[in-house]
Amino acid sequence: MRNAASSALGSRYGIVVLLGATLLAAVIGIPEFGSLGNLTNVAIQSAAMAILAIGQTVVIIAGLIDLSVGMLIGLIVVITSDLMNGQSAMTPIGILVALGLGAGVGLINGTLNNLLRIHPLILTFGMMSVLQGTIFVYTDRSVGRTSPEFVWMANETIAGVPFSAILLAAVALMAYFLLNRTRFGRHVYAVGGNEEHARRAGIATGPIKVWAFVISGLSAGIAGILVAGRLGTGYPNAGVGFELDAIVAVVLGGTSLAGGRGSILGTVAAVFVLGVASNALNLLEISSFVQILIKGLIVVIAILLNQPKRTALA
Amino acid sequence: MKKIIGLIAAITLALGMWAGPSAAAEDDRVLQEQRAAELVDASAFKKSGPYKIGVSAGYLGNSWVVFALQHIKYEASLHEEITDVLTTDAAFNPAKQVADIEDLVSKGVDLILYWPVDDKAIEGALKKATDKGIPTINTGGGYVHSPSVTASAFIDQWNLGEMVARRLFQDLGGKGKIFAMLPIAGTTAAVDQLAALKAVMKEYPGIELLSAEYGDWNRAKAKQITENLLQKYSHIDGVFSPAGQMSIGVAEAIDEAGRLGEVTMSPGDEYNGWLKWVRDHKQGGAVTFPTRVGQEALRLGLRMLRGETVRRGLRIPSEYISPGAAGAYAEMDRPDDWWASTLPDAWKPK
Amino acid sequence: MTDANEQGGGRWRFVAQSWARSYAIWLVLALLFVAAATLSEAFLRPIYIFNIVRQAAPVGIAAIGVTLVMILGGVDLSVGAIISLTAVLTAVTMDGQVANIPLAIVVALAAGALIGGINGVLTAYNRISPFILTLGMAIVVTGVTQIYSGGTARGIAAPGFREFFNFRIGGMVPVLAIGFLGLAAVGVWLQQATRFGRSLYLIGSNPRAARLSGLPVEKVTIAAYAVSGLMGGMAGVALLARSGVSSTFAGRGLEFDVLAAVVLGGTTFQGGRGGIAGTIAGVFVLLIAFNLVNIVGLNYNAQLIVKGVIIIVASAAYVYLKEAR
Repeated sequence: MRNAASSALGSRYGIVVLLGATLLAAVIGIPEFGSLGNLTNVAIQSAAMAILAIGQTVVIIAGLIDLSVGMLIGLIVVITSDLMNGQSAMTPIGILVALGLGAGVGLINGTLNNLLRIHPLILTFGMMSVLQGTIFVYTDRSVGRTSPEFVWMANETIAGVPFSAILLAAVALMAYFLLNRTRFGRHVYAVGGNEEHARRAGIATGPIKVWAFVISGLSAGIAGILVAGRLGTGYPNAGVGFELDAIVAVVLGGTSLAGGRGSILGTVAAVFVLGVASNALNLLEISSFVQILIKGLIVVIAILLNQPKRTALA
Repeated sequence: MKKIIGLIAAITLALGMWAGPSAAAEDDRVLQEQRAAELVDASAFKKSGPYKIGVSAGYLGNSWVVFALQHIKYEASLHEEITDVLTTDAAFNPAKQVADIEDLVSKGVDLILYWPVDDKAIEGALKKATDKGIPTINTGGGYVHSPSVTASAFIDQWNLGEMVARRLFQDLGGKGKIFAMLPIAGTTAAVDQLAALKAVMKEYPGIELLSAEYGDWNRAKAKQITENLLQKYSHIDGVFSPAGQMSIGVAEAIDEAGRLGEVTMSPGDEYNGWLKWVRDHKQGGAVTFPTRVGQEALRLGLRMLRGETVRRGLRIPSEYISPGAAGAYAEMDRPDDWWASTLPDAWKPK
Repeated sequence: MTDANEQGGGRWRFVAQSWARSYAIWLVLALLFVAAATLSEAFLRPIYIFNIVRQAAPVGIAAIGVTLVMILGGVDLSVGAIISLTAVLTAVTMDGQVANIPLAIVVALAAGALIGGINGVLTAYNRISPFILTLGMAIVVTGVTQIYSGGTARGIAAPGFREFFNFRIGGMVPVLAIGFLGLAAVGVWLQQATRFGRSLYLIGSNPRAARLSGLPVEKVTIAAYAVSGLMGGMAGVALLARSGVSSTFAGRGLEFDVLAAVVLGGTTFQGGRGGIAGTIAGVFVLLIAFNLVNIVGLNYNAQLIVKGVIIIVASAAYVYLKEAR
């Protein structure tokens, strides 16, 4: 039984199967779940995290990791809200600042990573602390207001489909194309798989790694726009814990923390498994405390079932 | 002639600027009281039973809100027409609270009681609820004036802060150096308490405010901050701390530094750990922060569902408990993280 | 054929550098301490020093266990959640009675060791990342704590419990400080003087070789994680002694402070190197830096920026010292 389950889940698209099963169970078991309004809500609620997790997927495939993205989102939310202060005219600036901050911090992370040659976990962990401190030195309470356009992007639909879901699809497609159909993508997989071999093969490992961090930062920028729109205000703790949720989704989706392998589709599916589960548990009126326990169990069980096959390597 | 006019103008301007901010604070209070007194036309919300109540908790990791929730559930049990109380917990995540409110609306609740992680963050979600004819009631915070909040069952934080400040200054004999321990920055509680403190300080020029700190209603954090302050300032006479949960952390830090003799504690609230401390040390007292606001909020909501006209702001008054009387309220066999309340035993948290 | 002088000179430089590498963090600590003392003479008072030791206790005790796990090449992100759980468990078991204190402490240690043991078993017999596993366990433990406590921090500390741990022997040394330093000594002994400790280093530096040479890798792994959980339980007791029963989330986020201290102390994620002594120094470096920020009058939140910068700079310095030959 365990073998059947683990091979079903261990297969490349196991997480998608799990998503399908979860959706089916929810639609059948919970009357309110299948309503268009609720499904739209679920999509909107998960879109930002999915975009963030896509960026994290790229960085993990490259053999790195980025713990600073949560606080980066917080910084972006605070600064864009304070800058825009509710004015539509400031929207383009808000978007530019969000993307600029995201890419900029990513660039700093990438450059420092190449320069200092410390483990990216430690580097981005330190950066996370620096960003958090920066946010709270800037403000200790909610500031500003996002513009109506931001709010629209995060909450509204076009012909019944949420804009944020469309944005997510676009980002996912671009990421998939980048990773699987370009030379850059092949190089990213190579660097993550074995950096030494990649270097000897003539791949410019340094710039590739910088780009991976920039992509991670950019994904935080786009996600930050949606989060800001969702909240409507610059809440300093906006991104707390997002980086861990993103990493969990990436691993659940089948990407290996060691680098060199990974799937955008798997990541997005994993984010939605967790989002659907959260929504379903709310609709089932399960106590929030039990929800926390269930989320933890999902993570532990899923990685146990989803392990890579035993190889000769220790 | 011109010079005299100019001088008078300058003096008036200076007086105006000096009085301005405090006048503005006074104006804010007056405005708030006017707005709270406004009537809500609840005919739009009139609905016949049975009723499903939704509670969107910004957080449940705090004993005060756990008690408030128990009050809500107790009150609900007294009304046959209420079939269900659905509770969601956002665990301090404002984006989750937005999602929770949306989910409650999906579940078809007739009324939403809530306490926010962040007021502004959930405005959009609350608006979706009111647009569907679901009244929303801010429970236990300050008074909120917004089209997405139908009414507030609130505790007047300014009044609470004022009562606490006056007691403290009286106990200090009108002069001394104090610091303030406030809750989460930006919340109505923190803003109003500090404003009240400063307003009362005007009547007591001998009082000096060394620092305003934000302990986030967290005993351990308040203790850590106090340890830092004790090290920074060699002489502290008093502490303004209306939240008992933090007061006990502050008091322990001062005690461990051996400086309890030099410091006077202000009244806290009816947090059990604090009441126990007051009983043992015979100083401090309490100004209540009643958890029964949960019951009052639900009753207010029911009146709106029946179509009755109500006021936008329902104020639950705070009472002063002297150090001597505090002993009667402290429940020694209950945990520190507990509140003196009017809940029947069966409904108290397990 | 190298010149004898050159060879001698090269060896001295090597010795100096490896000495610097092993004790780099102590150098940093000493420098920081001197800087702090010049800025505020409070640092020269023993009472104040021991205060810092006492403040460091919960994070420091947990860091002892996590160091051992990281030497092995793993990581334990569940300690924060374990601390929250055991703080509540200890208080509830005590229920206000002094007579219950020993039982309460045993319960806390047992709970910690049990959770650690589960972490160890799952890690040892599966090919999964301990990073994600212990992260998932942290969420599970947090959920259990919330369900168990119902949201209020139940439990009553016995009278005298807090006072005992905060009592200063000779007017100066808090009991909690002695407890912390004592546990650190035990940890160092485990690490240096036992076969268990040596196995940790061997497995951490080369897991394949260790397995091939017959080391009981699984048993050592389980033991290491169990010790980490046990220390987490002890840290929960320490936290309760310091802060009383305040919340069901008392330990949240502490796992990151622990990680920072361990990394600062020279233990890396690759495993096979580092040690508890360095971790303790790391704990103090962070704490003194925080206190400095506070004394100098900087924004309380600037501490976070300082923490991040110290972590990055110190880690970079280690790599530099390691690679400079």
